[in-house]
Amino acid sequence: MSARSEGLGGVELSNVTKRFVSPTGAAMTAIRNVDLTVEPGQFCAIVGPTGCGKSTTLTLAAGLERPTAGTVRVSGQPVDGITRNVSFMFQTDALLPWKPVLDNVALGPMFKGTPRREAHARAMDWLRTVGLSGFEHHYPHQLSGGMRKRVSLAAALINEPSVLLMDEPFSALDVQTRAIMSNELLTLWDRRRPSVMFVTHDLEEAIGLADKVVVITAGPGTVKAVFDIDLPRPRGAVQDIRFDPRFLELYRQIWAALREEVDEAYSRSATAAKAQGARA
Amino acid sequence: MSVATMDIPHEAASDEASLAQQARQRARRHRQLVLLGQLAILLVIVAGWQIAAVTGFIDPFFFGSPWGICVRLWDWALNGTAYGSFWLQIWVTLEESILGFVVGVVSGIVFGVLLGEIRYLAEVIGPYIKIVNALPRIVLGSIFVMWLGLGLPSKVLLAAVLVFFVVFFNAFQGVRSVDRNLISNARILGASRLQVVRHVVFPSAMTWIIASLHVALGFSIIGAIVGEFLGSQRGLGLVIATAQNTFDANGVFGAMLVIGGLALSAEWLMAKLEKRLLAWQPGNSRDSAIQGT
Repeated sequence: MSARSEGLGGVELSNVTKRFVSPTGAAMTAIRNVDLTVEPGQFCAIVGPTGCGKSTTLTLAAGLERPTAGTVRVSGQPVDGITRNVSFMFQTDALLPWKPVLDNVALGPMFKGTPRREAHARAMDWLRTVGLSGFEHHYPHQLSGGMRKRVSLAAALINEPSVLLMDEPFSALDVQTRAIMSNELLTLWDRRRPSVMFVTHDLEEAIGLADKVVVITAGPGTVKAVFDIDLPRPRGAVQDIRFDPRFLELYRQIWAALREEVDEAYSRSATAAKAQGARA
Repeated sequence: MSVATMDIPHEAASDEASLAQQARQRARRHRQLVLLGQLAILLVIVAGWQIAAVTGFIDPFFFGSPWGICVRLWDWALNGTAYGSFWLQIWVTLEESILGFVVGVVSGIVFGVLLGEIRYLAEVIGPYIKIVNALPRIVLGSIFVMWLGLGLPSKVLLAAVLVFFVVFFNAFQGVRSVDRNLISNARILGASRLQVVRHVVFPSAMTWIIASLHVALGFSIIGAIVGEFLGSQRGLGLVIATAQNTFDANGVFGAMLVIGGLALSAEWLMAKLEKRLLAWQPGNSRDSAIQGT
C-alpha cells in the first residue's frame, strides 16, 4: 500500500475481483485482480475496450457494489456502504427531470440537512460558476445536452467531494461541446483539486485531461499498463494540446497498448455475434 | 395579370408574421370543423331518437325519448324523488365516489410504494394480491352491504377496493421502473433511504400513478353506483334501480345522463390536476402550453 493513497481523496484498489452472478446462476467476471492507485488530487483516466469493466472500478470506489475479492480503500478507509465525500457523474444525465435546475444542484446539501435557503444560495453560486445563471428555474429537458452536463457538474461539485468519479461523462456530447466541457472540467478541478477517476474510451480525452492513464484489458478487465502523463499544467485548451509533440508520443505509446485489447474485444464480440447468427 | 396573382401568395409567404397568422387561421378553422362535426352527430342522434319515438318507430315506453328524459329530469329537479331531493341523491353518490377515490388512491399508493421498495414484502404478499385481483370485485359489494349496512360506508369501501387495485399496480410498476442511475446518484450525494423514496422514487412513480387516476376515477363512480344498486337508502344508483323497477326508461336514461355529466366534470378536473403535477415533462411545460392556446 502506498502511503500517499491514504491521504484524503486517495483511492486504492488492491487485487480486486468483481464477479456478477445472475439469479439463474450464470457468473460474469467484470474485473479480475485489479491493482489501481489514485493519489490525492490526481487526475486518473481509465481507458479500455467496451465491456472491459472500466465502470465497475467506479461503482466499487463509490461503494455502490462490493468487491468479490480484494479490498477497496478511499482516503485510507476500507469501503463499506456508500463512500462518503465522493461524487459521481454518469454517462446519462442523473438529473431529476421533475425538479428545476436550482433544486437539482441543491440536492447534495439538502440531503445532508443544509437549510433550504442556504442550499439554494450555494446552488446559485455554483450555477454562476458553470455559467448557467438565469436558467435556475428551467427544467432539465429545456436545456441543451451541454447545459445539462454543466448542471450535473455543478451538482457533483457542490458537495466539495474529495473524489470525483466520472463514467464517460461527455461521451453523449458532440465534439465541439465536448471540448468546451473538458476545458471547463479542468478549470473547475484546478480550484480544489479533488482526485478524479475518469472512465473514457477516448484516448485523446484521457491524455488531454489526466495525470495518469490506466489501460484496462479486454474483459474480464485487469490493469495492462499505467502511463504517467508528464504534460505540464495548466494544459490550456484540450483542442490545442493535441498538437504537442509530447502528446503525440504518449498517444502512440498508449495506443500501442490499447490497440491489442480493442482488437481482442472486437474479435470476441464478432465471434459471439456469428455464433448467435449460426444458432438463429 | 398572371404575374400579379402569382405575386400575392409569394409575398404573403415570405413574411413571418403573416405566415404565423395563416397557420393560426388554419388551426382555428380546423377546430371549428371538428366541433361542427361533433355537434352534427349529437343532433342526428337526439333528433333521430325523438322522431323515432314520436312516430312510433320505437316504443317510447321501453326506449324513452329525449324530450321525455328532459321532462323527467325537470320533474326531479323541481319535485325531488321518492327519497328526498334529487340534488341530495347526486350529492350522496358524489360523496361516496370521492371518499372511495381518496381512500383507494392513498392506500394504493402506500401499498404500491411499500411493495415496490421492499422486495421481500412484494414476494410474500404479491400472490395474494394477484388472487384478490382475479376475483370479480363487484361481487364484494354484496358482502360489504351485509357487513356495513345500507349507509355510506359500504359504498365507499366498494369504490375504494375498485380504485385500490388500479392505483396499486401502477404505483408498484412505477416504483420498479425508476432509473437506477437516479437512485445511485441520490445515494452518493448523501440521501437516506427515506429521502431517496421521497425525492426520487415517488416523483418518478408519479407519472405512472397519475396515468392510473383516470381509470380509477371512473371506477370510484362505478363502485358507488353499484353499491347503491345492491342496497341503499339514497343515491343515483337507487334512483336508477327504482326507475328500472317501475319500467321508467326516461328515468334510467336521465340518471345515466347525470352520472355521465358528473364523470365528465371529474375527468376535466383530473386533466387540470395532471397538467399541474406533470408540468416538468417535455411537452407539458408552460412554454408549450402557451403555444397550445
